Amino acid sequence: MASFVPTSDETLEDLRRYTEDRLVDVACLDCLAQVRVKKNSDHQTSVQWSAEARADCQEFQRRGQAPGGRDVHKPCSRLMASIDDAVRAGAVPIGAYDGY
Amino acid sequence: MTDTRMLDQGTQPIRFARGWHCLGLASDFADGKPHAVQGFGTKLVVWQGGNGELNVLDGYCRHMGGDLTQGEVKGDHIACPFHDWRWGGDGKCKEIPYARRVPLRARTQRYETVVRNGQLLMWHDPEGSAADHELLPPELPDVMTDKYTPWSWHTKEINGSHCRELIDNVADMAHFYYVHFAFPTSFRNIFDGHTATQFMESKGRPDTMGGGYGDENSTLKSVATYYGPSYMINWLEVDYKGFITEVILINCHIPTGPTSFTLQYGISVRKPEGLDEKTCAYIAERYTESFGDGFLQDVAIWENKVAVQNPLLCEEDGPVYQLRRWYEQFYVDVADIAPEMTDRFEFEVDTTKANEYWHAEVADNLAKRAAAEADAEAAAPADA
Ligand code: FES
Ligand SMILES: [Fe+2]
Repeated sequence: MASFVPTSDETLEDLRRYTEDRLVDVACLDCLAQVRVKKNSDHQTSVQWSAEARADCQEFQRRGQAPGGRDVHKPCSRLMASIDDAVRAGAVPIGAYDGY
Repeated sequence: MTDTRMLDQGTQPIRFARGWHCLGLASDFADGKPHAVQGFGTKLVVWQGGNGELNVLDGYCRHMGGDLTQGEVKGDHIACPFHDWRWGGDGKCKEIPYARRVPLRARTQRYETVVRNGQLLMWHDPEGSAADHELLPPELPDVMTDKYTPWSWHTKEINGSHCRELIDNVADMAHFYYVHFAFPTSFRNIFDGHTATQFMESKGRPDTMGGGYGDENSTLKSVATYYGPSYMINWLEVDYKGFITEVILINCHIPTGPTSFTLQYGISVRKPEGLDEKTCAYIAERYTESFGDGFLQDVAIWENKVAVQNPLLCEEDGPVYQLRRWYEQFYVDVADIAPEMTDRFEFEVDTTKANEYWHAEVADNLAKRAAAEADAEAAAPADA
């Protein structure tokens, strides 16, 4: 049950558009983690993890699960490098449709 | 059918968020007197018992509705001003001095508490679960010691906005330029589990008088994490002409009604080496002032905007929809938390285009100002 309730169906469509559209699978080159990625431009990147991928990531495993100070929230450098690789290989299209 | 986009204002939730909420500095409640705190659609009573423990109960006595915040602390208990029923921190009525026995059902709403970093936190859950200590914000090493200035703590009531407006700031890159007068040069978000983090680097605008996020001489590196729905720790590194100061800003709130909340913020500054106490206190005061101004800049916007369920975004905007999806987890039953609400999500905003435009605009503003000053000087009567 949603707590903030939209009053129109188009809002639900926007929600889907902004959070789900155009995500493409990218696998980490160093571990089993597979994430979904979107790039609106060279410098913009969205990375959508799943619980499964989060558990597969060796880097996060090492850092431990419990959020402590400020450092535990940093991205995994291996996964980021893997995404850069995928982008170079043309596996992740770059560019936005209409703000998403 | 029309192409005009409609604002979907939606409906606000009827419940308050589940999670740890900060009520203020623990020391402010530790005087053996009852304190009133508005929160969660009611009034809470907070007091420290003789045993030193801080307690939070619903503020209204279950006997005849007396206002416990106007009562008296007697021993470990809070005594109602109406007929002197004595309530314990565990929510049970411990004694009715004029009665033979206490009714078995004499239990009121109590809230579990923890003191963390010198602040009193309470657990709120509409489902009535036991407090989850795993979800507490981390302890801040060295804060509350000699190495940091003591918390400078402030409270502000906000009316006419749901507290989600405050949360939206986490993903809002562009408002830092327009509302807080800074160039956000780097901007990232990570949402993960019950935390939501904003990483930002910014530089003050030279065409404004500073305020909030500093002037042209200062650059800021900021890491700000919400631990649950209402408690943010913001680690700030301010570089002012090469002089670096570490500031910790707590930004937290208590919802009071469906469209009102109490904003609280506290600042503690790592004392720079070699500076005396007075100078350290002065620096802390300046930062408190400027971040306080920053909140007022936001408040001015909130007080006049409407709620929007369907924000329309451009490519330079942050991940507002994902942030709200994360925030939703605190408003549904635990059993209804969907995986996507807590799944990790990372987002980097492309600030290139925005900063190109902003720098040109600022240069233009400075040129206009210089021209206006030159004109005013030429028009002024010669002062012999
Ligand atoms: S109303 Fe509180 S003791 Fe009667
Ligand atoms: Fe803001």
